[in-house]
Amino acid sequence: MTRENMTDEASSPADGGDPTTDEMLVETSPTAGVSESDSGTAGGSRTLVEARNVNVWYDDDQALNDISLEIPENRVTAMIGPSGCGKSTFLRCINRMNDLIDAARVEGDLFLRNKNVYDDDVDPVALRRRVGMVFQKPNPFPKSIYDNVAYGLEIQDKEGDYDEIVERSLKRAALWDEVEDQLDESGLELSGGQQQRLCIARAIAPDPEVLLMDEPASALDPVATSKIEDLISELAEEYTVVIVTHNMQQAARISDKTAVFLTGGELVEFGDTQKIFENPDSQRVEDYITGKFG
Amino acid sequence: MSTDARDAVEDGFGHVSRTVGTVFRYLLLVSTLVGIVTLGVLLVYVANDAIRPLTADPGWHLTFVLAFALPSLLVGGYLYRRDKSALFTGLNALGVPAVSLLFASAAAMLFVDVVPPLIWFAYVVAVAIPLVVLLATTRYSHRIPFLARVATLAAVTVASLGVVPGAIQSLPFVPQAWLVVAATLGVPVAGVAGTYADRRWGRRAAVSVAVAALVATVAAPFAGPTIGLDPLPATVLMALAGVPTAVYVGTVVVNQPERRVGLLLPLVVVAGALVGGAVVDALGFAGPQAWIDWQFLTSDHSNTPAEAGIYPAIVGTILLMVVVALASFPVGVGAAVYLEEYAPDNTFTRVVDVNISNLAGVPSVVYGLLGLGVFVRYGGMTPGTVVVGGMTLALLILPIIIISAREAIRSVPDSMRQASYGMGATRWQTVKNVVLPRSFPGILTGTILALGRAIGETAPLLMIGAPQIFDLPTALDARVGAMPLQLYVWATTFASPEFYTTALAAGVVTLLVAMLAMNSIAIVLRNKYQREQ
Ligand SMILES: Nc1ncnc2c1ncn2[C@@H]1O[C@H](COP(=O)(O)OP(=O)(O)OP(=O)(O)O)[C@@H](O)[C@H]1O
Ligand SMILES: [Mg+2]
Repeated sequence: MTRENMTDEASSPADGGDPTTDEMLVETSPTAGVSESDSGTAGGSRTLVEARNVNVWYDDDQALNDISLEIPENRVTAMIGPSGCGKSTFLRCINRMNDLIDAARVEGDLFLRNKNVYDDDVDPVALRRRVGMVFQKPNPFPKSIYDNVAYGLEIQDKEGDYDEIVERSLKRAALWDEVEDQLDESGLELSGGQQQRLCIARAIAPDPEVLLMDEPASALDPVATSKIEDLISELAEEYTVVIVTHNMQQAARISDKTAVFLTGGELVEFGDTQKIFENPDSQRVEDYITGKFG
Repeated sequence: MSTDARDAVEDGFGHVSRTVGTVFRYLLLVSTLVGIVTLGVLLVYVANDAIRPLTADPGWHLTFVLAFALPSLLVGGYLYRRDKSALFTGLNALGVPAVSLLFASAAAMLFVDVVPPLIWFAYVVAVAIPLVVLLATTRYSHRIPFLARVATLAAVTVASLGVVPGAIQSLPFVPQAWLVVAATLGVPVAGVAGTYADRRWGRRAAVSVAVAALVATVAAPFAGPTIGLDPLPATVLMALAGVPTAVYVGTVVVNQPERRVGLLLPLVVVAGALVGGAVVDALGFAGPQAWIDWQFLTSDHSNTPAEAGIYPAIVGTILLMVVVALASFPVGVGAAVYLEEYAPDNTFTRVVDVNISNLAGVPSVVYGLLGLGVFVRYGGMTPGTVVVGGMTLALLILPIIIISAREAIRSVPDSMRQASYGMGATRWQTVKNVVLPRSFPGILTGTILALGRAIGETAPLLMIGAPQIFDLPTALDARVGAMPLQLYVWATTFASPEFYTTALAAGVVTLLVAMLAMNSIAIVLRNKYQREQ
């Protein structure tokens, strides 16, 4: 269970890594230069998260292959691709949850606000407080609904009126009406879809800068799904959202940018959602989106 | 082809032989029954010697069958047919007072004969002060740096333990023993009952429950003498058995109306016993001349079976168990948490792993030798005392506790740890808020079962030099004996056909009852835990 000691290996390629080294920026061609000026492709938003040549191995199997992309601030970025292509792995790179997997090895640079999160002096715990995460499978704590939502507030020692924050978070996650009267009951007694919304409420309660969502709507009915989609659009006004989804229409509806991963852990295309869905550069992406393969 | 097959089916589907399977099945049944039946026969045999039911008047049996056994069976059968969960509730309502009464009696013995209430009071106050400081500082934790808090707490603890006990013992007036016990037991029991009620029925109910519990505890020393109980034991029994029973019954009445009818069972059982007793007294029927009786439970050892008793051994066992639990639980759980949550997966931890599994199987005689060597030879402690015995038994069950606690910790789903780390929790916060609360019932179950093993150990006590004939141990450094040791001594040093069928049988029953009481708690905990998962 070696956890925090991943740092050394992982950050070594970034030695002296000045986030704005021109050489490297040139290589990440499609959106080069976004981090220096505000002239990015996503409607003039600055880059918040930038991956440069990120490679991930699980033991000897490579799960991500040289991923470079730039996630704009206050926008929704969607990750799509067939099962097993490394979308969850990429999300876990951003908040360094891969540190917790013994077999995982991360190489490359990943910048959050121009700071390489794989630098030696980055505390992964502090990083995760700024980058919230909703997991692929709902995983509420065996605590009351209230305590689940307040968990982040308590461990991060946040100031404020917890009752009010809990209520607001549950409302935003479209769960409040259903659990208003049973805040003291266990979060595990909710249905799968309710649990997923509880996890969303839990993730947004401590007010993170970036929200990583791994298929947040996969267990939800259409009504709850559309509520969550509304929530995501609303969140994007204040937060940066990165969402993994298998639902093409959903990606097209809610995201500003889309990254298409294909089998083998490759990032095949990354760009404005409209372009990806209407006129992708790559034939493979077009095939995937139109359902010819994947 | 296909028509052929269909024709064949119309003649029937044919037959597949199951002879081997049937033979195998009955062999399995036999091997299951061998153990249970042998044990059952043995227990009946011993219980017959200890209780001697046949020495009672036939009238006595008749009375109790009519007043007690029949009505209880009838009510039980009625509940079984009507609603099994109500029967279950009824059995629980019998078990809760029975088991809590046993534990309360153990505590009462300690207060009456071992720990002078004033000293108890002095130390409770001395420990309560730093606890209050701890709670107060946790509340404002984000304003006080961690190290400052630890330092303050350490200073307060040392000062409090150094000053308070002496000060209280030199008070110019000495409060009544029962008053002291009523305060030190009644307040925490009322607190626990109140918290429980708060979670189920809300704030207002919590206050009344807590007040009722406190009043009952304080009233017990006055009510006790009217039914022939001394004030001090009456207080302890009320706090530790009366209040829990009342809370359980209250929960059933308020929260499970459809199961209320189950409470009929304990009512009939208790009423039947009382009525039976009264009738037997009035008509002058003699009861069985049981060996296990009040005299046996409350006397010292004696060379004649008729006068022999097991009281010092019971108290010794209780004291040993207290020391064992205090010594092995924190160490064992700490080791388990370290190995599961912190330790890197390397050769060293794998060696430790294998060794712990092996240690769990080391014969208890060897642990006795180890205790003798470590605590007596090198530690310079007196052989055969409560501390040495308790710590040796603690070493004996430590590997079992570690293994079962690790199992409980491992059963916490990894997704919950992930969720916690994903929220930005540190490892310590994850362990404290997610892992330990979730695995605690399992850890507790394992610990109690391990204590159940320690309660029956004789060999380590012999090895560390526990005396063959022992007095009531009244301090941690007093020489101690225990129930299994007493049985061993009766069966060897005092071996005589007489002893075998008398005091020894009664002692075996006592020991088994004590062990079953502990295990019943573990079983209840485990069932509850499994239902919740
Ligand atoms: N903890 C792990 N240990 C070893 N290999 C892993 C681990 N997690 C993922 N992998 C491997 O990495 C690859 C990418 O997995 P990942 O979970 O990132 O895929 P995904 O795109 O999220 O798939 P899905 O859409 O099914 O969730 C897979 O081949 C998987 O087998
Ligand atoms: Mg995934």
